Amino acid sequence: MTDFLINNSGLVTFGVLMILGYIAGSMAEKKHYASIKKRESEMVEMPVVNIKKACVDSDVQKSTLVTGSAVISIDYFKRFLAILRNLFGGRVRSYESLVDRARREAILRMKENALKKNADLVINFRLETSAIGKSANKKGQVGSIEALAYGTAVTLRKV
Amino acid sequence: MKFTPKLADGDVNISASHPLKELAWLVGGFVTFLVLFYVLLGFVSGVLAISLPLKAEAWMGSKITILYEGQTNTFLQQHLDGLVGVLPNDSVLHEYTFRIFLDDEEDQVNAFALPGGLIVVCGGLLEAVQSENELDMILAHELGHFAHRDHLQAMGRSLIVAFGSWLLSGDGSSDVVPWIASKLERKYSQKQEIAADAWGLDLLNRRYGHVGGATDFFKRLAEDKKDRLAYFLATHPYPGDRVQYLNALIGQNGYGVKDTIPLPKGIVAEMGE
Repeated sequence: MTDFLINNSGLVTFGVLMILGYIAGSMAEKKHYASIKKRESEMVEMPVVNIKKACVDSDVQKSTLVTGSAVISIDYFKRFLAILRNLFGGRVRSYESLVDRARREAILRMKENALKKNADLVINFRLETSAIGKSANKKGQVGSIEALAYGTAVTLRKV
Repeated sequence: MKFTPKLADGDVNISASHPLKELAWLVGGFVTFLVLFYVLLGFVSGVLAISLPLKAEAWMGSKITILYEGQTNTFLQQHLDGLVGVLPNDSVLHEYTFRIFLDDEEDQVNAFALPGGLIVVCGGLLEAVQSENELDMILAHELGHFAHRDHLQAMGRSLIVAFGSWLLSGDGSSDVVPWIASKLERKYSQKQEIAADAWGLDLLNRRYGHVGGATDFFKRLAEDKKDRLAYFLATHPYPGDRVQYLNALIGQNGYGVKDTIPLPKGIVAEMGE
């Protein structure tokens, strides 16, 4: 048995990394989604719109820039799926959830930021995505994506 | 304008399918593709190996020789020449000019046949060998690979392994392709090794008039590595099985078994210089 493991050490390492990547990755993802959904429903009352001018009836008392960003890393399992996807083509399903999580987390952080500033709504909302570690498919490189959400937090004059 | 707070329905931006299901499809597809290609190439290289002119093989050999230049060894070459000298007159191997090289830096207990009549012996093998008869059995086994043109067939298939690794390159997972391939290779190679053993045994008998020492080396290997599982997926058969098979052949053909000639003392140290 020991000999078998030693002779096939490359495969054993690969298997361990895959299992670790899958278990840890899906646990983290599940937990993250639970938190995202909880906070989304908590902050659903705060409007975030992408129009440039605040179409509100009251006067604007204060307006500031608010940002929120999140960086989410891939795991070994997701990367392996994506590499195989490169051969066959089609939707890279394993990366979809990463991008989705990064975007929603960034929006949530931006909203939290706006709430802290006692804003009533966020206008001119924008969302940017960028990759960190462009050579993420190379050996020993860590790939992750960053989503940045920003907008103008507006506080209305209370009458 | 009235603002109505509402959450989006469901996760529209992510696919619902289970990642493990996707993994199974992708891996299954990739392996199927690789296996089909490998078997096809194995077939093509088999046909090519039989029809490849000796000139072309010698040309390939001359390119490889450069790698081993300066690693020639008189003692080994004498032994190899001794074996070539007793080949039957009608043997195809007479068309080759056999050259042998000693790779001191390689500790593996291994020897291999390369195109154009080149044999490379690893330093580790020489240290493991105890008699001249054993050494000749191993060299005769390698000559058997030339007689069956196994070395050319393996070359074609290893090309596909390199190609498969290249497809997945840039990731640790590229180790996986050679691994899969080595398991497939096993199907071809264990058969080839057994055939080369049988061929080598016959030549050993021609050389010494008996086959003493033919099984000694494999016996020791079998004692060293009792773990059968390690050989389950290896390219070479389990040494114990080879000993059994050789003994059966010795019985069948009525080969004599006499005393072996021990390797001259200090020959290993001397060759290391």
